[in-house]
Amino acid sequence: MEQGKIELGEAIPQAGPDLPGPFPVGRYARRLQEEMRKRARVQLIGEVTGVGRSKVQAYFELRDSQGAVPCAIWLNDLEKAGLPEGALRDGAELVIAGGPDYYPGGGQASPSFSFRATHVRLAGEGDLLARLEALRKQMRAEGLFELQKQLARPLLPQAIGVVTAESGAARRDLLAGLRRRGWGGTVVWAFAPVQDRHAAPAIAAAIQGLAARPEVEAIVVTRGGGSLADLWAFCDETLCRTVAMLRVPVISAVGHERDSTLLDDVAAVACSTPTHAAEAAVPLDCDLARRDLERVASSLRRAAEGAIGARARHLAALARGPARALQRERGALNQKTREIRAASERGLGERNEFQRRIATVVLARARRRGIERTAAATAKERRRGSAIERAAAQALERRREALARAVVTLRAHDPERTLERGYALAETPAGKPVTSADAAVAAAAVRLRFADGRVNAKIEGDVEREAR
Amino acid sequence: MSEKPDSYEVAVERLEEIIDRLDSGQAGLRETLDLCAEGRELVTYCAAELEAVGEGLKELKLDELAAKLDVSAEP
Repeated sequence: MEQGKIELGEAIPQAGPDLPGPFPVGRYARRLQEEMRKRARVQLIGEVTGVGRSKVQAYFELRDSQGAVPCAIWLNDLEKAGLPEGALRDGAELVIAGGPDYYPGGGQASPSFSFRATHVRLAGEGDLLARLEALRKQMRAEGLFELQKQLARPLLPQAIGVVTAESGAARRDLLAGLRRRGWGGTVVWAFAPVQDRHAAPAIAAAIQGLAARPEVEAIVVTRGGGSLADLWAFCDETLCRTVAMLRVPVISAVGHERDSTLLDDVAAVACSTPTHAAEAAVPLDCDLARRDLERVASSLRRAAEGAIGARARHLAALARGPARALQRERGALNQKTREIRAASERGLGERNEFQRRIATVVLARARRRGIERTAAATAKERRRGSAIERAAAQALERRREALARAVVTLRAHDPERTLERGYALAETPAGKPVTSADAAVAAAAVRLRFADGRVNAKIEGDVEREAR
Repeated sequence: MSEKPDSYEVAVERLEEIIDRLDSGQAGLRETLDLCAEGRELVTYCAAELEAVGEGLKELKLDELAAKLDVSAEP
């Protein structure tokens, strides 16, 4: 900063010492007004807020989530627009046509910028749908429609939050739907306006308040049907971006079946009615679940008892098995015994018959062989007998001859034959032969045996020895 | 499962697995008894959860809930 160049009343020289000017501000203000009025005339659409009137004009702000423009319309232009009574109100969706303007003010009056509207009308369905579609496209591209849908929704929440109007059919219908499911948990209400210009921020605040409570497991946002303009709060970009980023599932049930809001797009579930929202918030039909649970409990009990019972029966059967098997084997054995006996008897008969036949044959053969052998033996014996006989005869003959010779010999030695020839035999009285003279002398008496008889004789004298 | 299930749906999902396994007839005695014991715990848990939402619907306003919690949070 160069202190020497600063002069009282000058603009800040350091900001742009080379720029043109300085100009009188009033002149500049008028030039600004001229420049503004040269800008292209356009149509704007947005929500009306801060409506006010002076003697000659009405003024308001037209805004959406991206920004706002101060607007003004001469009352005569407003009258020409022919809006319904009270249509220019906070929260109304308007389409205005005009261009930027600048009021330079004056000695007492303050300058101001405004969009000077020359035409105004209420936004129609088409206008809103076009805006909605643009928002939808943008948010879909940002992936904001998927975030809530990826959240897990509890099957059986203990507490749910509900954002709705304090007085309205939606509240009643939702409660009825919850009761029909047999659900008796806690409903945490967060009442909010659902139609005016404060609706969207109030709804967003209510949802955020509920989401901050850890016991709240799901949030239902609901209101009854209406025109798209009536439901426009639920197409609010800020509200929908808020919902998209929540970690608690939000269930949207706004309007009727044909209505589709931006909230429906970002919510975890979009329902056509509060009743459907009740079913989405509590997916479990509690009455049905209680009955199912009883069945499951019975099923488990049966399974446990059945598993034990079946195995116990199996074990018992196994325990009986050996006896039964023994009995079975015994039966089988008896049967086999009977069969064997029968077969044996049958076989014995057959064998007997067979053996009989065999025996017959064998015997016949044996007999034949016996006969043959006998015959042969007989012939042999006969032959042998003949030989024996012959031998015997010969032996007999030989023995006869020998005998004859012996007889002859014997007869030759027979003392009787000697006696017959006149000799006598001296014997002791006892009959023993006396073969010597000495024996005769010793005996003193002898018996003389002749061929015709015996006589006693006395020995006298001694032995007279014969000379040799 | 001796631990408490994370949620009713986790419990129900496990119960369905148990019933399927038991119905298959492939589980042995020990496994069957273990599954039945686990199933009974899950049934008890589920019954308690259902019981908790079976005593009539309760209504509370968000600000009342906040006030109640604030009071209970005071030392």
